[in-house]
Amino acid sequence: MRFNLRRFDFVLLACTVVLALFGIAMVYSATLNVPTYESYPVRQLVYVLIGLLLLMGAAAFDYRLLTALQWPMLIFMLVGLAAVALLGQVRGGTAGWFDAGVVLVQPAEIAKVLFILVFAQFLSAHHDQMHRPQWVVLALVLIGLPVALIYLQPDLGTATVFIVVGALMLFAADLPWAYIAAAVVSAALMAPIVWNNLQEYMQSRILTFLDPASDPDASFNVAQALISIGNGGLLGKGFAQGSQSQLHFLRVRYADFIFSVIAEELGFVGAVILIILLAILLLRLLNIADQARDNFGRYLVIGITAMIMFQGIVSIGMNLGILPVTGITLPFISYGGSSLLTLMIGIGLAESVAMRSRKIEFD
Amino acid sequence: MSVISRPLPPSLRIMLLRVLVVTVAVIMVAQLWKLQFLQGEGFRLRANENRFRLVETTGQRGVIYDRNGHILVRNRPSFNIAIIPGTLPDDEAEAEAVLKRLEGLIKLSESDLPVHAADDETEETTAGPPKLGSSPPPQFRERMTVDQAMEEVNAGLQGGAYRPVVFAGPVSEETAFAIAEASYELPGVELVIEPVREYLSGTLTSQVLGFMGPIPQEYVDDYEAEGYRADDQVGLSGVELTFEKALKGQNGSRNIEVDVNGREVRTVGDIFPSEPGDNLVLTLDARLQALMEEALKKGLTQAKANTGVAIAMDPHTGEILGMVSLPTYDNNLFADGITADEYNELINDEQRPLLNHAISALYPPGSTFKIVTASAALQEGVIDERTRLGDSFDGRVDGMIYVDNRFFPDDPRYAQPFYCWIHAYGTGHYQVNVREALAVSCDVFMYQVAGGYRKTFEGVGIDKMDEYAEQFGFGDVTGIDLPGENPGLVPTPRWKRLTYAETWAAGDTYNMAIGQGAMLATPLQVLNATAAIANGGHLYKPQIVRQIVDVDGKVVDDFKPELIRDLPVDPDYVAVVQDGMWGAVNYPNGTAKALTVPGVSVAAKTGTAEFFDPNIELLPNNRLPTHAWITAYAPFEDPEIAVVVFVYNGGEGSATALPVAQDILRGYFALKNPPQPADPVDGEPAADQPAGPAEPGADQPALPVETVTAPAPADATTPAQGEGG
Repeated sequence: MRFNLRRFDFVLLACTVVLALFGIAMVYSATLNVPTYESYPVRQLVYVLIGLLLLMGAAAFDYRLLTALQWPMLIFMLVGLAAVALLGQVRGGTAGWFDAGVVLVQPAEIAKVLFILVFAQFLSAHHDQMHRPQWVVLALVLIGLPVALIYLQPDLGTATVFIVVGALMLFAADLPWAYIAAAVVSAALMAPIVWNNLQEYMQSRILTFLDPASDPDASFNVAQALISIGNGGLLGKGFAQGSQSQLHFLRVRYADFIFSVIAEELGFVGAVILIILLAILLLRLLNIADQARDNFGRYLVIGITAMIMFQGIVSIGMNLGILPVTGITLPFISYGGSSLLTLMIGIGLAESVAMRSRKIEFD
Repeated sequence: MSVISRPLPPSLRIMLLRVLVVTVAVIMVAQLWKLQFLQGEGFRLRANENRFRLVETTGQRGVIYDRNGHILVRNRPSFNIAIIPGTLPDDEAEAEAVLKRLEGLIKLSESDLPVHAADDETEETTAGPPKLGSSPPPQFRERMTVDQAMEEVNAGLQGGAYRPVVFAGPVSEETAFAIAEASYELPGVELVIEPVREYLSGTLTSQVLGFMGPIPQEYVDDYEAEGYRADDQVGLSGVELTFEKALKGQNGSRNIEVDVNGREVRTVGDIFPSEPGDNLVLTLDARLQALMEEALKKGLTQAKANTGVAIAMDPHTGEILGMVSLPTYDNNLFADGITADEYNELINDEQRPLLNHAISALYPPGSTFKIVTASAALQEGVIDERTRLGDSFDGRVDGMIYVDNRFFPDDPRYAQPFYCWIHAYGTGHYQVNVREALAVSCDVFMYQVAGGYRKTFEGVGIDKMDEYAEQFGFGDVTGIDLPGENPGLVPTPRWKRLTYAETWAAGDTYNMAIGQGAMLATPLQVLNATAAIANGGHLYKPQIVRQIVDVDGKVVDDFKPELIRDLPVDPDYVAVVQDGMWGAVNYPNGTAKALTVPGVSVAAKTGTAEFFDPNIELLPNNRLPTHAWITAYAPFEDPEIAVVVFVYNGGEGSATALPVAQDILRGYFALKNPPQPADPVDGEPAADQPAGPAEPGADQPALPVETVTAPAPADATTPAQGEGG
């Protein structure tokens, strides 16, 4: 199958590159004067460069060839997640890390793309049968398997990403509204059961969000994030000049709370530019999905869009104090190799879909 | 796959997702707007609250010098190890590893630092009139075990994660530097440096300088009203307490920018600069003080006694030149935080080392009080300087007289005998005049002038005796600028009625005349009364501080001699008493004739005061044990130093206290005039003289006392020899 370079989405690539560079700059500011994190900006730069290569490679690669690999990908994903759940290194309360010599790898990040590919393939194959309960159940099982393994790590945030990505892909796959309504109702009914089975730290995070006064120490980070954002004003305190971030009142500045660093140091203008960049990126992705040549491509791009959108909403929402604290990082911006490479591959796959889209050519 | 060629229709669901993206973006921007503009001011304030901190600073406490500028106390840094729970590694095992490492760095030599001392067991000092100003709560600085620290850390993490937890009390400088060097490997560990006192003269001056500690609970409000902070250290005894206000540096504050761990990033500005406290220049002479302590220690050892006092004063100004109270303690113990054991040991020590016996303890003054009795008798006209009284009215020279029974005055069987000290040697003083009575310390003479004798002689009477005792400063504090001074007791008929429900008897007046009975005084009062005689009749307030000097060396306060009152005694009569004291040293049978200082004429009064202490055994023949006293001043012609020496249960004043006073006076004059190469050999011919109760010629005054202003030949021994021969 041929591809058309003119259908390559340069706006999407531009948004990606600008966001990634933005990210390197903010990681630099967030890790300034902390010896432990000294290497982070350089590492992030390396990840960005590798990521761009992967992006190009994925774009050049015909995504449809991946349909042949769905079983190996599924098995690889499940084995990887199972292994990390059992053998992974514990960091920050979760076991989601593999030590790969120089770097620590988070298999759950790679698993996101694999899951999207497998699930997109499943949905496109059974596109006409999604009104039948058995396929819906099968779809739920497909979502449930990785979610269960990630929950065992335990990592509620990433598990939620899988649930939401799966749900949005189902939604895009024209899951009948009746099922959606039923899902919403049963989710509401299941909430108490889920709550009781949550890990303690997850419960406390949610409780803290609902009632910040309940645990002054845990709400410290959230309060400091709000102070940082409020401190920024219109134009911010200046790059690497934010008192909240540079004096370390803000915790996990280079990842979970990097949005607050941006809002403090670059102000309302900087933060809005970031939101707009992300919004454009998401809208471009949705365009690609809309114009995809086939359902596999469409669902694949929807999955990638859902991943970026959900992580972006949760991360920014948490910083803005409108969503509870999770370990979810801000796409393209937060420090983290596995996450960045996964996102870059995702964008590359989307470009691959774009270049093979159904748009009529006049050449 | 046939699907491939068929283009997909635009999706409604994708359109809905577009709407979702835009909606969420708008919500986020709106929320940003709210946080950064609508609530921005509040958050900016909170951000500033975060980063700016008003740090309280403490002005350096003033240092203390002796009169010659020798430094007695200064400040030195004390190193404490604190843990900031919030900055320890999150992982409990890692945190524990840090603490273990820290524990390892705290040197083995310091392993005797108490690990969690017992709770405060402050006990009041044993019964007795003088109490320590306010029993200071000892501050315990204990080293924690790692487990205890972890417990504290976990407790801290729930509340103030950035409040320091003191892990180990003062550690050595070496350890502190080792910890500072390893600070990178010890996240969450902080070295806290605070100034503490370093008493260079330690035990030598601890009674006078005192010590510092936390503000006693009951005074916290008072101190805070004066601008103190609740955790400030304050003087708790000695001049550290009395001159607290002057010594205290002024607290200030500084605005700093801090990071999340509360570590200072930079100073933003001084708001109220702290100011150092003023320095004190004491009247003490550290060299004299040292030789006084040495002399007193020697005296105590020889007398097998534990407690003693030696004070030296300039009689013309009231300046205290030296003040030694033994046993003493090391006030440096308090500087680094005294432990419970150390504190209880001090508190429960029967010798009460924390007590300044020179001003806080009361003893019968014994014969040293006779200068008051003699002054009163002369001034009241009961006697003149030639009046002779004694034990021979009944025809026997036996050193005893009788006081008639009040109800059967004519029945000798009921009469009560009163003895002179010399009675124990089987003789009496016969008839003596006032000078001789003082010189030989004749008790009978003093009994008679104070209480009268039978119907033949009218005495001063108790009311006048009390009046004169009070005029000489007994029964009231001298006002010296040291805490815990005891007023003592001058017994009056009213006092006896109220205390014992008994009427005052003639015997009580007799006892009072020789400083016995219920009469109680501090060694300082005895010295001050002596100094008033020495300077011609002026009772000065004893001073311990000479100058208050600010940090630039400018004199803030210059202490001038402060007259309490002029004695109501004619200068001529004061001179007679002076002669009597001169006689005690220079008459052949003077009680202090062993006291010689080469080239200097000395006057003195010994005292051997009986006392009763249930813990001390009686002497053979059921005699009461005695305290040894001596007061002395020199040079006789123009006194520059007056000394009192007191030895608790020391036996005879002339035997125990006198050598100490001699060492002190000799030391004083040697300091003043360093010995010449050809130091005249100081024979003590007086010792060879038959010191029996020789009776001086009745009509010939022993000395040309009327013109006594200068018994000129400076060598003290010469006139005595001439007279004795």
